[in-house]
Amino acid sequence: MLQVLFNGLINGAILAPAAIAFTLMFGILRFPNFAIGAYVTVGAFSILFFDQVAGWHIALATVAGMAVTALVVWACDLIVFRPLRAYPSVSLLVVSIALSLILENIIRFIAGNDVRGFDIPLSRPIKLPGLKFVPEQLYLLGLAAAAMVAIHVLLKYTSLGKAMRATADNFTLAEVRGIDTAKVIAATWLIGGALAGLAGLLAGLDLVIEPLVGWYLTIPVFAAAILGGIGSPFGAVAGAVLVGLAEEVTGLWFNPAYKVGVGFVIITILLLFRPQGLFGQPEIKK
Amino acid sequence: MSPPVLEVKGVVSGYGRGDIVKGVDLAVGRGEIVTVIGPNGAGKSTMIKTVAGVVPLRAGTIAVAGKVISGLRASEIARSGVAYVPQEANVFRTLTVRENLEMGAWVLPEKRAERLELVYGFFPVLRERQRQRAGNLSGGQRQMVALAMALMVDPTALLLDEPSAGLSPKLVEEMFQIIARINRAGVSVLMVEQNAIQALKMSDRGYVLAGGRVRLADRAAALLDNAEIAALYLGVGG
Repeated sequence: MLQVLFNGLINGAILAPAAIAFTLMFGILRFPNFAIGAYVTVGAFSILFFDQVAGWHIALATVAGMAVTALVVWACDLIVFRPLRAYPSVSLLVVSIALSLILENIIRFIAGNDVRGFDIPLSRPIKLPGLKFVPEQLYLLGLAAAAMVAIHVLLKYTSLGKAMRATADNFTLAEVRGIDTAKVIAATWLIGGALAGLAGLLAGLDLVIEPLVGWYLTIPVFAAAILGGIGSPFGAVAGAVLVGLAEEVTGLWFNPAYKVGVGFVIITILLLFRPQGLFGQPEIKK
Repeated sequence: MSPPVLEVKGVVSGYGRGDIVKGVDLAVGRGEIVTVIGPNGAGKSTMIKTVAGVVPLRAGTIAVAGKVISGLRASEIARSGVAYVPQEANVFRTLTVRENLEMGAWVLPEKRAERLELVYGFFPVLRERQRQRAGNLSGGQRQMVALAMALMVDPTALLLDEPSAGLSPKLVEEMFQIIARINRAGVSVLMVEQNAIQALKMSDRGYVLAGGRVRLADRAAALLDNAEIAALYLGVGG
């Protein structure tokens, strides 16, 4: 049982940075960005590039890969989403699905379909009573936790972070008060992109790297963000852990092949009974 | 003579196909309080939103202290010294009172501490409530946060869209007194109000807007004495 909980926590840690990125983007841009999974794939492959082709240390490769992902995500906004800013969120959702297919296939074209992994030394599992794990899983938890703390500090204590929250809260009022919302939007894409890049590392550490690596995360990330109350970074983290645990715990009774379905079931139940999520406040309609 | 603080000339604007504001001229002189009254649907709110840059301008010009601001984005207009307070959704509900005020000072970060003291002077209750979320405040206090946030930029002109809307009669009185104090501190005010009598009593001049056009412009006292206006818009007499 301890093992199941630990594995669930690892799942949650992989989902959390991507779920935060998704929810930050939703808060400011007001549409569910389906391309979040593809951004994670971009992250995994850019880190892979710096790690294996350039031969850098994995830590340096991660930083470089996060920067590349941030720029790619921002460029996607300039090319794809910005011209469509006035469109309804459903149109943007559909566009983001198209974008994710395009990104995925660009990666396929450049890197091929092979399954790869990061160049890290194999390590012996650590065995405790009732629990077995590899050291990478501890790094993974640590990195996810560090990302959460960084985002919390950003949102709570910096002017940019407060402006991001203000813009997410009330876009028109932010404009009226003189906040440069174009800059806030750019910052949101860059920060979200960096988080997606990190998620690429985490996914690559735990799973394998292939052009669909992010795709498998898309539904659980949606589920985590909705579960936590969409637009709330704290909720996204809690949602990620809960979805991660749910995926593992259901594995006790069902074939793990159905793991992907868990996210769908969570989304369905939530949308039926508590669309604002566990921690969100109901939207006030006038 | 120095140019008016705010000068609106031939302004046309609206949503979708139709025009709601159909060629409005008005001006606010230095130190004045100017009130715009008129029936529902007259275009008062759309007019003030157009000045603030929230509703796009279709024709005409708007100048602040002689500098043309028409065509600028709302955030740029805010930088030019115009502080607009919307009628509703006028605070960041999920931010604390203090954070709201900090956002108000976005365009003037170096004067933030100084303005914060000044604004807390106007609204002592907000200092007590500074760590609370604005969304959890009472309607009256929320309205104060909205006004206080606008004052953080040391505005030349304050644009108020129905500042008394939704407030109890006692709070309406208080709100108007606060506006008068802000005005005495040197801020020119343009406001749109349903509470026409009370608003005109504290104003220097008034405009009557109907059907998207200015029907009458006069000193506030004269508008209050005008029997026809009284009957039509002030809800007095028959």
